[in-house]
Amino acid sequence: MSTINPDATALTAAANSLRRSKPHYGERVIRGLLLLAAVVSVLTTFGIVISLLIPSIEFFTEIPIGDFLFGTTWTPLFMNGEFGVLPLVSGTLVITGIAIIVAIPLGLGSAIYLSEYASLRVRKVLKPTLEVLAGIPTVVFGFFALEFLTQLVLVKIFPGIEVFNALSAGIIMGIMIIPTIASLSEDAMAAVPSGLRDGAYALGSTKRQTAMKVVIPAALSGIVAAFVLGISRAIGETMIVTIAAGLQPQLTLNPLQGMQTMTSYIAAAGSGDLATGSIEYKSIFAVGLLLFILTFIMNVFSIRLVRRFRQVYQ
Amino acid sequence: MSTPDEVTLKLSSSMLRHGSELPLHARETVFSLDDVSVFYGDYEAIRNVTLPIGKNEITAFIGPSGCGKSTLLRSFNRMNDLIPGARVQGTVAYHGTDIYGPDVDPIEVRRRVGMVFQKPNVFPKSIYENVAYGPKVNGIKGNYDDLVEECLTRAALWNEVKDDLKKSAYALSGGQQQRLVIARCIAVRPDVILMDEPCASLDPIATAKIEDLMGELAKDYTIVIVTHNMQQAARVSDRTAFFTAELDDNGIRHGRLVEFGPTRELFSSPSDKRTEDYISGRFG
Ligand SMILES: Nc1ncnc2c1ncn2[C@@H]1O[C@H](COP(=O)(O)OP(=O)(O)O)[C@@H](O)[C@H]1O
Ligand SMILES: [Mg+2]
Repeated sequence: MSTINPDATALTAAANSLRRSKPHYGERVIRGLLLLAAVVSVLTTFGIVISLLIPSIEFFTEIPIGDFLFGTTWTPLFMNGEFGVLPLVSGTLVITGIAIIVAIPLGLGSAIYLSEYASLRVRKVLKPTLEVLAGIPTVVFGFFALEFLTQLVLVKIFPGIEVFNALSAGIIMGIMIIPTIASLSEDAMAAVPSGLRDGAYALGSTKRQTAMKVVIPAALSGIVAAFVLGISRAIGETMIVTIAAGLQPQLTLNPLQGMQTMTSYIAAAGSGDLATGSIEYKSIFAVGLLLFILTFIMNVFSIRLVRRFRQVYQ
Repeated sequence: MSTPDEVTLKLSSSMLRHGSELPLHARETVFSLDDVSVFYGDYEAIRNVTLPIGKNEITAFIGPSGCGKSTLLRSFNRMNDLIPGARVQGTVAYHGTDIYGPDVDPIEVRRRVGMVFQKPNVFPKSIYENVAYGPKVNGIKGNYDDLVEECLTRAALWNEVKDDLKKSAYALSGGQQQRLVIARCIAVRPDVILMDEPCASLDPIATAKIEDLMGELAKDYTIVIVTHNMQQAARVSDRTAFFTAELDDNGIRHGRLVEFGPTRELFSSPSDKRTEDYISGRFG
């Protein structure tokens, strides 16, 4: 069958020249370092979960999990304190909700303006300025909410507002996450191929139609990711709420009252002098675990959402 | 003994598009360019073009890369307005109206003068939504089903996609996407279709489909096509404009219109030496 035999020696020579002449040590070292980096972050996450889990389990041996999850009174520092976490959850949700109401329209609006309307010169100035907002320490935002927003502005509009209130904390928290949302959404919109814009304009679209009906849908997965990151920051934010919203765990939806969030409880209780091993001390971890789970669920849910909307450009 | 493919352009008359042998003066002109120059900032990319575009004809723009064909084409529907610093001088008259006149709305111009681009730029939406997009933004209300079917049929795509209208347009092949773009374009009922190298990213089979389609579309539309492919210009167009880029006294390159005429004449007996060199492959 085989009539043409390739020259055996030539073949061996060719094969030899393809063989690695010396091991690529540099390559291995880099690979090792990168693997180490990945392992460290995974291990850290595990460590956090376990350090939350162990005191939490101890906590739940004393306080039934149902009482914790569905109880409406949170008075851990009282004699015979109650550990119903709902006031903290509602505080977190109300303040985060206010932040979202502030941040999504303003953040997305800034992104649309920067990406579709602003001239190159304006964008060059505006985008870095906006990003400076992201660099302001949250403690500064917190005092701004308390001293300026509440005392000088909100009291004039809502005379009955409490000194510590959810509204000011939520608004300022919203302002804090605007740069995150604006900057990431703008990146997503800038990544939309210009051919799509040309296509829209060539069909007689106005600027607004091009932005709303073509660019935003095309950038949607990036925009949703920006929202999620912003909201995650809001939920995890501690300083602003600790300073401006007060530390009263109240089960209410009235934003003019003071509230306590899960994070501000952890911060306040953690900085106090609770005896290690006391039930109050363990409650910090139970709340932390709940916060972790809620954030985790939100992230999983939003990754799903992003995948569903993901559009690949050719 | 196989010789490599040479760029020899042996034109038989069968390669030429038949049907519109009317002299241009006997046809209605849709566009009439008078001394048009287009600038990017201070740079004059193409200068002093005077050219008519005949109704229901296919006019091809050919010439080497960078000679300003796309630039000139974009001045037909004011797409140059979108490029900061771009400016058009001279008169671009559309049915007698200067489209750069003070009262002219570029959006109205673009509704009448559609455009197909080099890279198929389908929107990240369903096939159906792509076709319905133009009518929607132009405020045409109602049910788009019939319109979508009609436009996809005219773009020779209906049979391939009729069961997948809800599918993402990105699922289509490059050639199908380009036909979808054409369907999307005719859905706003334009009068003129501009095509800037519509087959540049397509394989020969997809290219042949688009070329056939152009012949069909020319019955109802006026088409201006930029192409790198001279055989394509010869095959599909009625009239051809040949451009080139030349150095001026200051050593700056500007695009110029060298020759314009019926495609058959321009290819068989070019009157300018530069045209002859280009079409015989000795240049560019
Ligand atoms: N947006 C732009 N800004 C500045 N110069 C441009 C722009 N687009 C094209 N040019 C220049 O104008 C000239 C003509 O370009 P173009 O019209 O794209 O040529 P063609 O389509 O014939 O290849 C080229 O020198 C090109 O570099
Ligand atoms: Mg071009």
